[in-house]
Amino acid sequence: MITENCSNMVDISISKDVLVIGAGSFGLQAAGQIAAQGYKVSVIGAKTACARQSGCTSEMLEKGGVNIMQDVSIEALAGVVGDFRATLTKNNEKVESIFGAVVVAPQYSYSPLNAKYGLTLNDKVMTLSQFEAIISSDSEKMKAIQNGGEGGAGANVAFLMGFAQEGEPLLTGRVLKGALAVQNMKGCKAYIYAGNVKVGANGLERLFTQGRHAGVVCFKPSETPKVQQGTDLLKITIKDPVVRSDVELTPDFIVVEEGLVVDKQNLDLCAKLRVDTDLDGFLPSNNVHRFPAKSNRDGIFVVNSSLDATNAALRVKELIGDGTKKVVADRAKVDENLCVICLTCYRSCPHGAIFWQNGAAAISPAACQGCGICASECPMDAIQLGEFTDESLRANIKDAVVSAQATQKDAKSEPTIVAFCCKNSALEAFESAKLFGHEMPVGFKIVKVPCAGKVDVEFIMKAFVDGADGVMVAACHEGNCKAERGNTYAKWRVNEIQKRLELMGFGKNKLTFTTIASNMAKEFACKVNDFAKSLEG
Amino acid sequence: MNSQSQKVLVLGGGIAGLTAAWELSRQNISVELVEKSCFLGGHSIGFTCKATDRCQQCGACSVEEMLKNVVNEPLINVHLKTELKGLNKADSSYKITLQKSDIDLPVAQITQRANGKAAKGFSKHNNPLYVTESDKNNMGSQCEVDVDALIVATGYSPFDPNRKSTYGYGKWANVITGLDLENIIRENGALVRPSDGQKPAKVAFIQCVGSRDERLGNLWCSEVCCPYAMRMAGSVKHDNPDAQITMFYIDIQNTAKEFPVFYEKIKQNIRFVRTIPVDIYPLENNCLELRHMAEDEGAPSSESFDLVVLSVGIMPGKDTGKISEITAIPINQDGFFDSTSSDLGCFVAGTAKGPGSIATTMADAGKTAFEAMRYLGVMK
Ligand code: SF4
Ligand code: SF4
Ligand code: SF4
Ligand code: SF4
Repeated sequence: MITENCSNMVDISISKDVLVIGAGSFGLQAAGQIAAQGYKVSVIGAKTACARQSGCTSEMLEKGGVNIMQDVSIEALAGVVGDFRATLTKNNEKVESIFGAVVVAPQYSYSPLNAKYGLTLNDKVMTLSQFEAIISSDSEKMKAIQNGGEGGAGANVAFLMGFAQEGEPLLTGRVLKGALAVQNMKGCKAYIYAGNVKVGANGLERLFTQGRHAGVVCFKPSETPKVQQGTDLLKITIKDPVVRSDVELTPDFIVVEEGLVVDKQNLDLCAKLRVDTDLDGFLPSNNVHRFPAKSNRDGIFVVNSSLDATNAALRVKELIGDGTKKVVADRAKVDENLCVICLTCYRSCPHGAIFWQNGAAAISPAACQGCGICASECPMDAIQLGEFTDESLRANIKDAVVSAQATQKDAKSEPTIVAFCCKNSALEAFESAKLFGHEMPVGFKIVKVPCAGKVDVEFIMKAFVDGADGVMVAACHEGNCKAERGNTYAKWRVNEIQKRLELMGFGKNKLTFTTIASNMAKEFACKVNDFAKSLEG
Repeated sequence: MNSQSQKVLVLGGGIAGLTAAWELSRQNISVELVEKSCFLGGHSIGFTCKATDRCQQCGACSVEEMLKNVVNEPLINVHLKTELKGLNKADSSYKITLQKSDIDLPVAQITQRANGKAAKGFSKHNNPLYVTESDKNNMGSQCEVDVDALIVATGYSPFDPNRKSTYGYGKWANVITGLDLENIIRENGALVRPSDGQKPAKVAFIQCVGSRDERLGNLWCSEVCCPYAMRMAGSVKHDNPDAQITMFYIDIQNTAKEFPVFYEKIKQNIRFVRTIPVDIYPLENNCLELRHMAEDEGAPSSESFDLVVLSVGIMPGKDTGKISEITAIPINQDGFFDSTSSDLGCFVAGTAKGPGSIATTMADAGKTAFEAMRYLGVMK
């Protein structure tokens, strides 16, 4: 196994206790799989699944390998990976516990969407969950469906999905199963009104076909069906595009879809843990570098499925191992004498790696990813990266300009361009472009940075002062930055300098900001060539 | 068992195999990674970035990163142009026979170089990067290895568009598949028509080609082609705002996270028509006439396009039958490997079990590696 090759490695100890937040089936699955690795797992949050069925063994549950703590909630989480300090409360009593890793298994709830169809829930109009409860029972209500049609015959049941929301395969699977169950009851008939039928999961297309063969009718109108709810009458009307007229149905029962909702509890939790959500408020943020099971904070994992649960267990095992871990000691370091506790670094660190010690900011070597955002943002220049010191970056800028100028044979035929390339994306793309022989201007040279977030205003200005005709800052695409917002910081700084350049009468197009993925060699070369052309013209 | 001495054979060097191998190596397990072709990375290493003004989370760049991890990992021993010949279970281990695979250089990757024709890798992490016909003949491992477990990650085959003969794939230059489209963008840095190298003004995507097709007996949704086509359409539109893009579909399947936001946005940029076209005819200038039953007209109508992209589906891998015979892993009714995990030390990861995106394939490969390690006693 490769380990980082750096002389500056230190051993840190990692707590072997793990906190799982969310006692639903995925949370309990993760708990069982993590406990099996010999770590002590505490589970908090509403328990909505059976621990044993989720893979927690009796031994774990009895001997404390998995400790399910009902009625305990988390009030705050301080510390960093390996050494999280959780404040847990039970009946207003607070305890602080230390955990090496935290697994969040958000428990989202389903909310009925009948209102979006103008429907009120009653005996005839029910949610999907209510319907499922009825058909798995032997109740009066079940008999009502079996004999609820005209003259005591089987009932007509209409399912509505995909108009109040886009929906997803899990929901579709439930509707398809429900419709097939109805269709298979003697004399009953099932109708599905669907927006997009989300069959994009294992087995659903087969189930859909099976339903159609059994006689389930599926309408896919282009507009939301008109639904009328009278005292005795339910009526669904859609426009049929082929016949160009209205098609009406008067079902005995209507089953409406449900939607996953993000409740405030989840959002509060994210705020406490400083874990980012996606645009819809679900955890974690939408970033391929986090999939599966990771979050923006090292040591905090997010589990939304069984697959995630197992992957979280893998990551926890990799992280905790036997309780000690080798990490780079000086990815980033604060000079205590310079720090004025302005909080800028604490707020800007995407990985939650900064804490307070001896009256100054301090950086956890375990959590720091070395992106350098804090270093660039610190107003006191109090932070230096181990591998990318300001001094070495300045020297690299100088070298880049000098070597770019040296490649220009007679006088200066082509512009000298310096590109700051993020090592995660642009640097890879640049190296590929070279290797694949894509042509780029001879006066083009790069400076490697750990993240575009480490491109200081000063560095860009220095490149110009040293003699660059054009400067490019090449970052990851928005939403693809490993440091989440490094690219955004870089873009802001570039915009700032462009304004300054304009005021100084240089024209802002000497400086450009661009985003690129690591696998796009040709596109990188095209962007550089376009920039070079714009400088000439 | 001492994990240092344990070894797993991973069959297939696509994203599933790469991820499984990497996860094993994280726990100090040695891996023999066997790939039939001359390049690691499978289909997905050829995929291009779909970012518009922001990343669209297609996962292509994570394949690049995983490949980089794997080629730099000393515990992973790579056998290119090699396939599984036989397997003998002895006590708790497997004796595996490998042989050189018999495979042509991938046509789509052939380029002209100073010293003749060669197939070019998609990534700078492909080693070798170029393979000539004679290089190819020297590649491959013929050997026996003893391993403690086996992970089959042989992936899928794209649907053969020639089976849908009315679309004229291979006959009309500007009818291409999604995979062809990737290559065009990779080579040119933008989407151009195969016939004339010009940017197409009107582009059609036809969904569900080969999938969800009862007549073909393919009763599954390939899951990735809707997200794929929408992301691609969005990225093409971003590069060339004048392009008019139409997607012909049955039902739109979700991308992963943030789908409602994504879908609302993409609907403003591309036109969605709910019907699957019947056939395609050539017009002047290599344009194409696409005939379909327009939903709102209820009668056949037709429309011309500069380029038609077929969203070919995910089909069982070509070697599935052969590998099933050697490994005794059962095949399900759709022709993919059965997903049930094994207590014999034979596991299956990724799209060899059925359709899945890059992200879900990686998650599944992680889980499969976990199960294999549990079998080996490295994980409990
Ligand atoms: S940004 Fe700089 S000055 Fe402010 S708290 Fe952090 S280290 Fe101290
Ligand atoms: S370098 Fe990046 S990860 Fe490390 S403390 Fe600074 S902002 Fe946080
Ligand atoms: S769109 Fe795909 S390849 Fe591009 S940055 Fe995002 S995940 Fe990576
Ligand atoms: S993902 Fe879309 S195009 Fe692909 S098979 Fe499913 S419905 Fe058809």
